[in-house]
Amino acid sequence: MYGQVSVLAKETPHWWPPKVSDFILPGWFYPWVTKFTVMVWIAVAIVLVFFLVGYRNPKIVPGRWQWLTESVYSFGRDGIGQDIIGHEGIRFAPYLTSLLTFIGVMNVFGILPLFQVAPTAHIAIPVALTAVSYVLYIYLGLRRHGFVGFLKVMTIPAGAPLYILPLVVPLEFLSNFIIRPFTLAVRLFANMFAGHFILLVFTLGGFVLLNVGAGFAPLSALSWLLAIVLTFLELLVALLQAYVFAILNAVYIQGSLAEEH
Amino acid sequence: MAGDQQPRRRRDEWSAADIGWTALGYLISGMAFWGFVGWLIDHWLGTRGIALGIGVVIGAGLGTFLVMRRFGA
Repeated sequence: MYGQVSVLAKETPHWWPPKVSDFILPGWFYPWVTKFTVMVWIAVAIVLVFFLVGYRNPKIVPGRWQWLTESVYSFGRDGIGQDIIGHEGIRFAPYLTSLLTFIGVMNVFGILPLFQVAPTAHIAIPVALTAVSYVLYIYLGLRRHGFVGFLKVMTIPAGAPLYILPLVVPLEFLSNFIIRPFTLAVRLFANMFAGHFILLVFTLGGFVLLNVGAGFAPLSALSWLLAIVLTFLELLVALLQAYVFAILNAVYIQGSLAEEH
Repeated sequence: MAGDQQPRRRRDEWSAADIGWTALGYLISGMAFWGFVGWLIDHWLGTRGIALGIGVVIGAGLGTFLVMRRFGA
């Protein structure tokens, strides 16, 4: 540790500052497979193994692993699906639980050593997840209400006087079909990206402060202490954002299935 | 039915996670849409930004109206 610190303190290393090329794997992978791609695959594998092993040999009295997977699943089914959507929510339990665990695992990568960055801090991944959710809630709404009926549900505010409708219908349309998917993706992305940045600033800030002079060593220690504390905060944010993403998916599905909003 | 009360309350509570963003979305879309319409009118009539200003103010008002309609008491 001390050797590393002194090397960093002596001169600017070749990898400073971090570049986009840091995310690209060497060799023929470029540009199809980046480190983020590999992390997403690992997250998929972790979720798959978690549920498959838990349900490989199901018993009426569950073992420890089975109990864990069942708890997670029932949290997704009852805590999110049924509570938000109602009886129909059971149908969406696999989707919501997959979202919850997949995003949760990816977010936690942000603070795991060797990963150090969450794939969800790359805008492409929240955008892809949001695209799935967007297609799903529009499809469900169209199937439930038909084209005109769904447009009515989504664009006409309940109980608004008739003369104001031409003024507010474009706004409801923009808000529900353009702003909503945008904010859904950006909320997840920005939270994870900002978290990554904060950890980076405080960790590398410690090294930079050491570089300035011996008098700044206490500040550098403070910076590292904050980095440790903020890592715990990031764990909370990671799990919370996975939960919020799944919850909002449920809210949007419910909005498409409901008679009015 | 008594059984229906519980989910509805939880649902309202949790869609609260979305309220801030939805309110912001209404305000922005109001100003953007009617501001854009005002900008088009500016081009059409050759006025320099008057209709744009009026459009943005009206859009903000309508956005506020929608937020109150949806979340107000």
